[in-house]
Amino acid sequence: MIGGRRPIQGRKPGDRRVKVERPHSAYFRWSGPGQLTAKQAASRPASGPGRVWADTKAFLLGRPLASEEEIGERLSKRKALAIFSSDAISSSAYATEEILRALIVGGVLALALGLEVSIAIAILLVVVAISYRQICLAYPTGGGSYSVSKRNFGRGASLIAASALLIDYVMTVAVSTSSAAEQIVSAVPDLADDRVLIAVAALTLITLGNLRGIREAGNIFAVPTYLFVGSALLMIAIGVWRIVIGGEGGGYDPSIVEQTAETASGVTVLLIIRAFASGAVALTGTEAIATGVPAFKPPEARNAAATLAIMAALLGVLFIGITFLAVNFGIAHIDEPAKQTVISQVAREIYGSNTIPFFLFQAFTAILLFLAANTSFNAFPRLLAILAQDGFMPRQFALRGDRLAFSYGIIVLATVAASLIVVFGGDTHLLIPLYAVGVFIDFTISQAGMIRHWLRERTSGWQRRLAINAFGMVLTAVVAVVVTVAKAPPSFLVLVLIPVLVALMRFISRQYAGQAAELAVRDDLVIAGPQREQRVVIPVNGINRAVVQAVNFGRTIASDVRAVYVTDDADEGEQLRERWERQLPGVPLVIVESPFRAVVSPIVAYLDVLDQAWPPDKEAPITVVVLPEYVARRWWDRVLYNQVARRLKAALVGREHTVIADVPYRRDH
Amino acid sequence: MPDQIAPAFRRAVLALGGAPIDSRIVRLAAELARPSKAEVVGVHVVEIDWSLPLDADIAGRSEEVQRVLDSAEAIADQMRQTLEPVLLQARDVGAALVDEATERDADLLVVGLPYRKRFGGDFAIGRTIPYVLKNAPCAVWVVREPIPEESS
Repeated sequence: MIGGRRPIQGRKPGDRRVKVERPHSAYFRWSGPGQLTAKQAASRPASGPGRVWADTKAFLLGRPLASEEEIGERLSKRKALAIFSSDAISSSAYATEEILRALIVGGVLALALGLEVSIAIAILLVVVAISYRQICLAYPTGGGSYSVSKRNFGRGASLIAASALLIDYVMTVAVSTSSAAEQIVSAVPDLADDRVLIAVAALTLITLGNLRGIREAGNIFAVPTYLFVGSALLMIAIGVWRIVIGGEGGGYDPSIVEQTAETASGVTVLLIIRAFASGAVALTGTEAIATGVPAFKPPEARNAAATLAIMAALLGVLFIGITFLAVNFGIAHIDEPAKQTVISQVAREIYGSNTIPFFLFQAFTAILLFLAANTSFNAFPRLLAILAQDGFMPRQFALRGDRLAFSYGIIVLATVAASLIVVFGGDTHLLIPLYAVGVFIDFTISQAGMIRHWLRERTSGWQRRLAINAFGMVLTAVVAVVVTVAKAPPSFLVLVLIPVLVALMRFISRQYAGQAAELAVRDDLVIAGPQREQRVVIPVNGINRAVVQAVNFGRTIASDVRAVYVTDDADEGEQLRERWERQLPGVPLVIVESPFRAVVSPIVAYLDVLDQAWPPDKEAPITVVVLPEYVARRWWDRVLYNQVARRLKAALVGREHTVIADVPYRRDH
Repeated sequence: MPDQIAPAFRRAVLALGGAPIDSRIVRLAAELARPSKAEVVGVHVVEIDWSLPLDADIAGRSEEVQRVLDSAEAIADQMRQTLEPVLLQARDVGAALVDEATERDADLLVVGLPYRKRFGGDFAIGRTIPYVLKNAPCAVWVVREPIPEESS
């Protein structure tokens, strides 16, 4: 083999051929003129520990995916309905309970109004869903209310919307996982003490699933969503049959009537408003599809809009159905002796206590609630990535991990949500006041943005669409105020958090903008070659191969090259000078005697003196400090070498007109 | 009747000339190779003029030459099929292809027949395809480029 070419003899004497080696092909591929594309081998870490980490990640999360494989990761409508709707649909598992918890204060008469309140919320759901359907079609790039408000109102409103959304997504994870743990505890009361542990363990599994990438996430999550929807619809159908045809369900039990009679405050408008505000939590998650439009298979916008419509219809039926059954079978929440959620009592009533169908339904509900958190795991990192691309969040949030997932966003979401679960002891009812406020602020901003959108675009049918959004905006704005007031004081925490997040994002944006302005090069400039003088200073510890290599490198980049030797022994210095002049003529050696035995500071001081001695009428030269470094063979060797060089580097980083150049010497050179 | 349809080939050598027909050849071979896990070898031969030594440093330095094989490899990757790229320098393309197929014990050699639009349009059969057809020790498939509509 000569120069990567190997001659091979053919079948006939004259038919020789030469096989040409292609050293680049293991790591790169020429993809265009002057353009190389790195293969997976090029992205593999070079160090042993790095490779072990990469292999561990691949084992846990799957093989790294190339960016071009992303289209294969898009979601079909069937999978997207499961992924993006699990949040909205699962809220039907606790929204009814929140209404009944609010109404019970008003006694049995008030409890009976649960159905009317849920119908009012379902009407609100229809308005919000139609509005968000329009957002999917008008803003197919995703981002939901953030994109809409950015386009129509500019930075201020968009950052408020983004902050509200971020809080909403974190709360979704915390509330859903806590509620799922409560469903398990309702079915198996012995696990009551492990509620937080169950929630956090499930959250960890969901995080790992999402770090693997969205297609796999779709496979994991699609089945349980459909199992819950199927079994809940069956439960509603059986219940409605028993009530309407069988004449069962006589309302609330006399024991509840007695219990509530003493404390009942009567049915007041305020009570109904509180119940409405509590049940409005059912709408959370409606916006997720509009945020994740790019995750759909093409045509993205149409598929997202269709999925949103199906989701709203399912949620409406489930929510009203479960409330209808709860009110007719006289069900209210039970906290003592063991927690019994309203939906678990409905299931017990329909499927029978401690029967297989009951346990299956509870399992499906719990799994769906765990997976509802997954909606946020898709939407939260995407929103962070969009914010990062716009310069409002650290850039690493826009980077995709090995599996094309926005890994940093996923990890941040999991960490914050897990902290909330632990702090609130996994109690859904305590978490919910923080939940709905951000959602309704977000709904209001996005619909206001859509009003401006229709006024500007005036596409066909814009008046009708504008009217829908205007109606939705007024309705959601009123609900936002109602929810905030009704859930005060915990809800005020969200009102504090939103400005804090907005301020943080503005701060990050200013930092990036400042850096970009500092580094900007005018577009019309033709960059000339270097004009400033350069000089090389080489701190040395004697004459050795590493030093010789550094001196030779220094000679290639400047004519003004000098070595500096710091010592506390003048005789030793003179011996070195004699040898230096003999072996490295032409490179002056400066000996700095250091009676206080410091090494780094005298070198820095020497550089300062050099700068001061430079003629003031000439532009300051660039001083290249060339550091000879010995490359350790083993990781534990590193502690033995280059300590002075490391300290010197730390002292020189950021010094004006100074460049630090490491010249590594390897033993096998 | 056999229970299963026999695989189209075990190991195929694809002659890649850097023409648009290459992508068609690679797709076809990858599609047929995948179910039976057959091997696919993409060979690009750079013909060296007699005025230069056969081992002159020509192909290795040319980005354009490398791109022929890299593009083929990328297409195969998209179809989840491994393609082994081989770059050769030879005096005669046909002889090099036949020798490579023989040495690798290939049971299929695929060559492309490009359509030239110039001079009213015709298939440029050249001398490589007849040589391969006559001398290859295995089956030979000639993949013809479709005639553009305006020419037919």
